[in-house]
Amino acid sequence: MPFPRLVSLAIRQLLREARTGELKVLFCALLIAVAASTAIGYFGHRLNLTMQSHASEFLGADLVLNGSAPATQTQTNTGLDLGLAHAQVVEFSSVIATDEQIQLSSIKAVDSAYPLRGELRSSEALYGPEQPGSGPQPGEAWAEARLLAALDLKIGDTIEVGRQPLRLSRVLTYEPDRAGDLYSLTPRVLIHMDDLTATGVIQPGSRVRYRELWSGPGESLESYQKAIEPGLAANQSIETVKDENRQIGGALERAERYLNLASLAAILLAGVAVALSATRFANRRLDNSALLRCLGLSQRETLQLYTLQLGILGLLASFAGALLGWLAQQGLFFLLRNLLSSQVSETNLWPMLTGIATGMVALAGFALPPLAALGRVPPLRVLRRDILPVPLSSWLVYGAAIAALATIMWRLTLDLTITLALLGGGLLVSLALGSALLLGLQKLRKLLTNTSLPWRLGLGQLLRHPLSAAGQSLAFGLILLAMALVALLRTELLDTWRDQLPKNAPNYFALNVLPAELDAFKTRVAGITDFSAPLYPVIPGRLITINETPAHDLVAQGTQGDRATRRDLNLTWATELPSDNHLVVGQWWNEKEQSDLPGVSIEAELAENFGLKLGDKLTFNIGGTNLDARVSSFRQVNWNSFQPNFFMIFEPGALTGMPTTFLTSFHLAPGKEHDLIQLARDFPAVTLLQIDALLAQLRDILAQVSLAVEYVLLFVLAAGFAVLFAGLQATLDERIRQGALLRALGARRQILQRARGIEFALLGASSGILAALGCELISALLYRFIFDIHWHPHPWLLAMPVIGALLVGSAGILGTNKALKVSPLIVLREN
Amino acid sequence: MNASILTARHLSKVVSSAEGSLRILDDLSLELHKGDVLAIVGTSGSGKSTLLGLLAGLDLPTSGEVELAGHVLNRLDEDRRARVRAEHVGFVFQSFQLLDTLNALENVMLPLELEGRQDASAKAQALLERVGLAARLHHYPRQLSGGEQQRVALARAFAAEPKILFADEPTGNLDSNTGAHITELLFELNRERGTTLILVTHDERLAGRCQKLLRLEGGRQIEYRAAG
Repeated sequence: MPFPRLVSLAIRQLLREARTGELKVLFCALLIAVAASTAIGYFGHRLNLTMQSHASEFLGADLVLNGSAPATQTQTNTGLDLGLAHAQVVEFSSVIATDEQIQLSSIKAVDSAYPLRGELRSSEALYGPEQPGSGPQPGEAWAEARLLAALDLKIGDTIEVGRQPLRLSRVLTYEPDRAGDLYSLTPRVLIHMDDLTATGVIQPGSRVRYRELWSGPGESLESYQKAIEPGLAANQSIETVKDENRQIGGALERAERYLNLASLAAILLAGVAVALSATRFANRRLDNSALLRCLGLSQRETLQLYTLQLGILGLLASFAGALLGWLAQQGLFFLLRNLLSSQVSETNLWPMLTGIATGMVALAGFALPPLAALGRVPPLRVLRRDILPVPLSSWLVYGAAIAALATIMWRLTLDLTITLALLGGGLLVSLALGSALLLGLQKLRKLLTNTSLPWRLGLGQLLRHPLSAAGQSLAFGLILLAMALVALLRTELLDTWRDQLPKNAPNYFALNVLPAELDAFKTRVAGITDFSAPLYPVIPGRLITINETPAHDLVAQGTQGDRATRRDLNLTWATELPSDNHLVVGQWWNEKEQSDLPGVSIEAELAENFGLKLGDKLTFNIGGTNLDARVSSFRQVNWNSFQPNFFMIFEPGALTGMPTTFLTSFHLAPGKEHDLIQLARDFPAVTLLQIDALLAQLRDILAQVSLAVEYVLLFVLAAGFAVLFAGLQATLDERIRQGALLRALGARRQILQRARGIEFALLGASSGILAALGCELISALLYRFIFDIHWHPHPWLLAMPVIGALLVGSAGILGTNKALKVSPLIVLREN
Repeated sequence: MNASILTARHLSKVVSSAEGSLRILDDLSLELHKGDVLAIVGTSGSGKSTLLGLLAGLDLPTSGEVELAGHVLNRLDEDRRARVRAEHVGFVFQSFQLLDTLNALENVMLPLELEGRQDASAKAQALLERVGLAARLHHYPRQLSGGEQQRVALARAFAAEPKILFADEPTGNLDSNTGAHITELLFELNRERGTTLILVTHDERLAGRCQKLLRLEGGRQIEYRAAG
């Protein structure tokens, strides 16, 4: 038969069957899969943008081109041609002097466009109320409170930056792009770019940092980055939102992973629904395809006909689903409009397209194997209904489903290891639990003989096809598992995030505490705060060689390791392992063997970047002197704790005699600003950094993530319920027939209802057991390998069998109600 | 005498079961010409449906061969047998085998649509009118009585103008009165169109109206009659 005729036949058949409501279930299952995937896709996209724009504030831009020389004209023009917004910042150190004192300060010259993201805040008086606004005018300078304290200045005084006198007009309280650079030791002075030349500070050879700030739509930024990257000079580097800023980066990454896992759960659920309804689609067409074969359609044509039908149906459902998903997220964003960014481009079709692709992949993986059976229905079935098609090799059937799953998982996680681990683990669990279930069902058979009629009917239904009962239980188990897992992750991830930001998280850093003042400072801080971190010694030093090879030769350009070799690191020594660090490899001092060189413990990620091993010899340059040390352990560091953290911690005694200052962080309750001014006056050398704003922003982001997570959970729940009903639909035909028969034989509806309740409750309970076991296993793996948080058992999961029995039991009774309503007469006549 | 349209030579069918191999059809031969009407009778399990399946090319014999409209079916693969069926063969089944998602008209249109005929609808409508279902065109199988369903099946069987029509217990699911009407209709249509008809039945009265009769027992032919 010519192909166009086959297509037109497929369409006509589809339209005819659609009229009879036959394909409703399959259509709905796909609709849900695609809608969930699309909605979550858009949601994640928008959330990401919102969070990135928050994170951008910490850069003051979306992308920053750093360099020790100004950007070239070409580099600048490329950005301007792409329509990006641009601002220029020049940073350098200079001494600010008054008649009595001098203070080395970090000067920052900004143009009027600065900052491109986030806002600049300042106050009219020392520790006065903050006000947002644009930067200093030409002729003005804004300085941080600690400079005013150190030099005993007041607003209205004149200071000299280089040769240029400037009027001190405001107190600088917050620069968005300062947050990522907490450890800068000198107080900040902000001046206008127009005054820069007049200062005369910028001379050939002077140490200056040029920062070109760029912002604009994501695609233009990407084009810009791609265009300038190949031509970057050795002294230039690009910084984007994701590179820097560990606190925000961590939260972003986890939120993204959670969203992806949640959408994976929703898609898995919908995949189960698609598989169930496609099997029903195929089974109901066994007779039809035998007839078509009798009517002369070849095996291939029969297969093509049904594939076409399913494909067209799939496309229709997918497009409708994509539209529905888009509408759903629009609704969601209307509800969350005050919290989330509205700047997402409305024309972005990507989530829709991936949603549709997801639907089609799920359909291909889950529906094609049962469909393939249709092509192989022997035409003889028209005469003998007991003849079934030769079953496809199970490898092929399950292989297709697993391949589809793997594709979807890989797209969502973009991580082959995670995909394989989840998939492999999932398969093993399914196999083990499936066989356990099958054994359990067979044991039940023995108990069957002495029970009442409804029990025997209900159990009998399960035991008649133990394999399919085990399969159904596994399917419902997966649904419950997915829902339980999403609920569990939601609570625990949020709790973990919140725990990382306790109410009294440090909001001030104190740097440059001199050894002589150490005890006095400690006592003073203890008197005014409710929490302070230990005081850590800080010795600035640069890593120069690893096993005698220059360190910067060992790292790729632009990596964290690369950056670490280009600046002084804050080195410290400690007797105890800091409370929020934990050792990954190696031993802490007290257990370590004696070695020729002092030991150093290194932050694990940086160590990986350098490709370090235990026992490697590192050489540091500290104030002109070289110091050798041997790598003795790797540490994982919690950068979210707002406590001082270090890449390198030395063995006590290793840094004796080096120029040392001390560093700590503490929490100051609101209303105690006066104490702080006094503290700054009494310890003029100490630098106090306020990080309240950073914390507030982080809290804001967490609030949004929590909200998002709750909505995503709603999606998963909706998908789960839909699947439950779709699954019940799949067994409806047989139930209708059986119910009618029993009623024809005189069974009362009540008995049938009870039998059904028992059957589904048992099914639900066994699914619940599976879900509880699976949930514990998977959560343990996820916590360990993906979220990196501590796992503990969840006793509430013991309620899963009861929840399963109630959920599946009531859904089962509701979903199969039709089987009790249909007149037995009609059913028997259909036979 | 015209050329034979269906010839079976020494057909045997052996299936393997748990108890060893089972011979369900044993050395059966027959020859039919255009317009012949053959009844295959026998008790349940005598091999009637197996023989019908072999003759129609729905299944292949263990030994022997079937030649249908000049094609030796054993030498064709399933797809080529399907093409022979599409061209030459029609079916009527005991359980009607209507597609329950299609209405009466669409069921009859189906074989015509498979041929790609433009006049499918008109032709199907005419056939349904011929079998007395003009008022039931848009009813679905479940809305029709057994007799009505079988009339739709008859209309469908004749729609593609087959040379040979295989009917497997066409009245088996119907009461005797309705069965008689269907039988009448089947013979009338057969006469009008000069189709060769092969009928599996255990209704002796129906078998008695057929020009030829083949009686099976335990897979063997125990009677062959070619009455006029």
